[in-house]
Amino acid sequence: MSSNGFTLAGGRDPFAGRIPISVITGFLGSGKTTLLKKLLRHPEMCNAAVIVNEFGEESIDHELLETSSERMALLDNGCLCCTVRTDLQETLRDILTKRLHGQVIQFDRVFVETTGLADPAPVVQTLASDSLLADKFRLDCVVTLVDAVNGLQQLDTLNEPLKQAAIADRLLLSKTDLARPEQVAALRARLADINPQAVLIEVVQGEVDPALLVDVGLATRNVPAEKLSRWIGPLAAPVGSSGGSGLSPHAGHSSGIESFCLWFERPFTWSSFETCMTVLTSLRGPDLLRVKGLVNVEGEAGPVVVQGVQHIFHPPATLPAWSDSDHRSRIVFITRRIERETIENLFRAVGALGTMRAG
Amino acid sequence: MNVGSQADRTLSLNMTLLSHHELDGFGGVGEGVAMQMAKDGRRILWLAHESAPKNFTAVDVSDPRAPKMVVQTDLPHAQVRSNSLEVSGDTLAVAYQTKQVGMKPAGFDLFDISVPEKPRLIAHFDASGPHSRGAHCLWFVDGETVHMASGAADFQPRNPKDDQFYRIIDVRNPSKPTEVGRWWYPGTREGDSEPPVRRMPKFDSGYRAHNTNAYPERPDRAYIGYIDGGAVILDISDRAQPKLVANWRHSPPNTGFTHTVMPLPKRELLIVTDECTKDDGADWPKMTWVVDNRDETNPVPIATFPLPPVEVFAKRGGRYGSHNLHENPPVKCAHRDDRIVLATFFNGGMRAFDISNPYQPVEVGYFVPGAPKMSPKGSVQINDVYWDDRGVVFCVDRFAGGLYAVEMKI
Repeated sequence: MSSNGFTLAGGRDPFAGRIPISVITGFLGSGKTTLLKKLLRHPEMCNAAVIVNEFGEESIDHELLETSSERMALLDNGCLCCTVRTDLQETLRDILTKRLHGQVIQFDRVFVETTGLADPAPVVQTLASDSLLADKFRLDCVVTLVDAVNGLQQLDTLNEPLKQAAIADRLLLSKTDLARPEQVAALRARLADINPQAVLIEVVQGEVDPALLVDVGLATRNVPAEKLSRWIGPLAAPVGSSGGSGLSPHAGHSSGIESFCLWFERPFTWSSFETCMTVLTSLRGPDLLRVKGLVNVEGEAGPVVVQGVQHIFHPPATLPAWSDSDHRSRIVFITRRIERETIENLFRAVGALGTMRAG
Repeated sequence: MNVGSQADRTLSLNMTLLSHHELDGFGGVGEGVAMQMAKDGRRILWLAHESAPKNFTAVDVSDPRAPKMVVQTDLPHAQVRSNSLEVSGDTLAVAYQTKQVGMKPAGFDLFDISVPEKPRLIAHFDASGPHSRGAHCLWFVDGETVHMASGAADFQPRNPKDDQFYRIIDVRNPSKPTEVGRWWYPGTREGDSEPPVRRMPKFDSGYRAHNTNAYPERPDRAYIGYIDGGAVILDISDRAQPKLVANWRHSPPNTGFTHTVMPLPKRELLIVTDECTKDDGADWPKMTWVVDNRDETNPVPIATFPLPPVEVFAKRGGRYGSHNLHENPPVKCAHRDDRIVLATFFNGGMRAFDISNPYQPVEVGYFVPGAPKMSPKGSVQINDVYWDDRGVVFCVDRFAGGLYAVEMKI
């Protein structure tokens, strides 16, 4: 935005105007429903739509005000609540159409609750791969609940909780009031090891400040620097900067989950960058749990935002300008059984690699 | 089931309310919103009331989270309304329109507002007359000229609905405003050689000027919404004799009431609004148009702003459809943008559109306050919008809600 004279016309803001979606995931019994119940009681959530798996005994139907069909209901605070009957894609399309025709509220935010056994990655991918949904919605946040009493054991023995934790933007530790302090401390350490990118928040009985769970994703390309660095996460904080921790690559070796940031001094051509990512996703897509990057592409005034889950990437979006003089590309990877060196070597082989240093 | 109207609820996307000021119980605001940078550094927002008893209100919005009323003035009687105002430097121009022809005050006032708490009348420009209701709307951005939609003592329209036309008033000597030029739609004045104009078949609202905008990028042009006459572009290089450059007519089949014609010179576009004037969707659709102005003698419509669903908003109460824009006024405190356009839609609130691709405008945010207390229509009726150079957006309710300060996340 310019205050003196006219701004230059560029392409459409790729983020603005899309309805934010937060994915609430977590293993069975981790407290997803309790969290949603409490969250929806906050006044600023009164125009939310929530998609749950079923109106069950333990679901949020205690507050149902009006049921318009077996799949949709209005809660007493005005929120729309609906169940997924067939698949999420269809449900999202359905509520979008109904919103257009005034058959449901003009919701301004969507929460999607996954089943406890679900892999949340396909939910996130749906938002990028379905072109209708991608035009109307944007991923705001992946919130993963972890039960402080049983979480550690679940992470050690099951795949789903591990993946749920690895792709999260926010990790919520539930039932900390029921767990022993040393249990909580061990779980915190484990989660920080699996996903040092996510913000860890302890919740008791689902009580959490909604501000911590919303406005996490990019809502506009005119994003303030501080918000952009929060979005890309601590692994991409430059060493020596005030916010930077100079984190060494994190590797939860016991679980095979690694997280690291690669830095590139020289700008990419778009085709070289695209080639690297295409090779990577076609060879190891399922193990690229989450990728977020700000890429310096020749000819672009600002960084190109890239984000993906496994083999599905959101369309790249160019920001109007870099926020400071550091124009190095930075790409954060959370992977499963892919060594950092493998990815470095790939970039090197494609010839895109200038001088690179550990992030 | 239609649960979507939600007139009691505030709806928002990418916009956050910073503050709400009810203007001490006189929350009906017209289509005059302008900001002054006072000499002491305060930002004062001047608001023209939609109707009597109040004339105008000034609010200190230096801290948009804590607006403070500075002054509120009264009209001389209930048969006159101000509706429109503009600020240039420390001079405020306020329009006056009477309910019936022949009444006074009809025209505009100039005030010295160098002390915002004490507006001092400099001069009154009298536009009253046996066939005139005075001025409905004015434009005053350069400290030198008032462009306005007004009647005049010597102007007799063939049809009483066609009483307000385009007048150019030189106010370089603010104590003696002087008319220097005028233009009316050919065929509307008694004695015109042209045939009478064709009345709109469904709603005959009149061939009158509404917004009369002129910008320094094109000092030789005036852009006029001419109500049932469509969009009018005039060559005003010789102010004494404005000449028609183009007249874009799109009614019928539409139902007239062209309100604002805003040029985006660098992009060779016009944004044109048709005002909704009927309740409950009776004159739907009232649209905001993107018009290709590369050949200014042949404006071509290329898109309309995608409006929120009529099924939802027509049932919200009161009017629903296009009205005012943030008009990129070339003044000190205003933000100017040719990619994002802010527009008001009565019960559809205030909405932001990205026109980077002019063929495909995209809605990128909205703010629709819940029905204000004492709202006669049972819904908000957002009337006008102003985007300041800090990025703060102000919008106003037509009847009761007063002033809303909004932060945009786009």
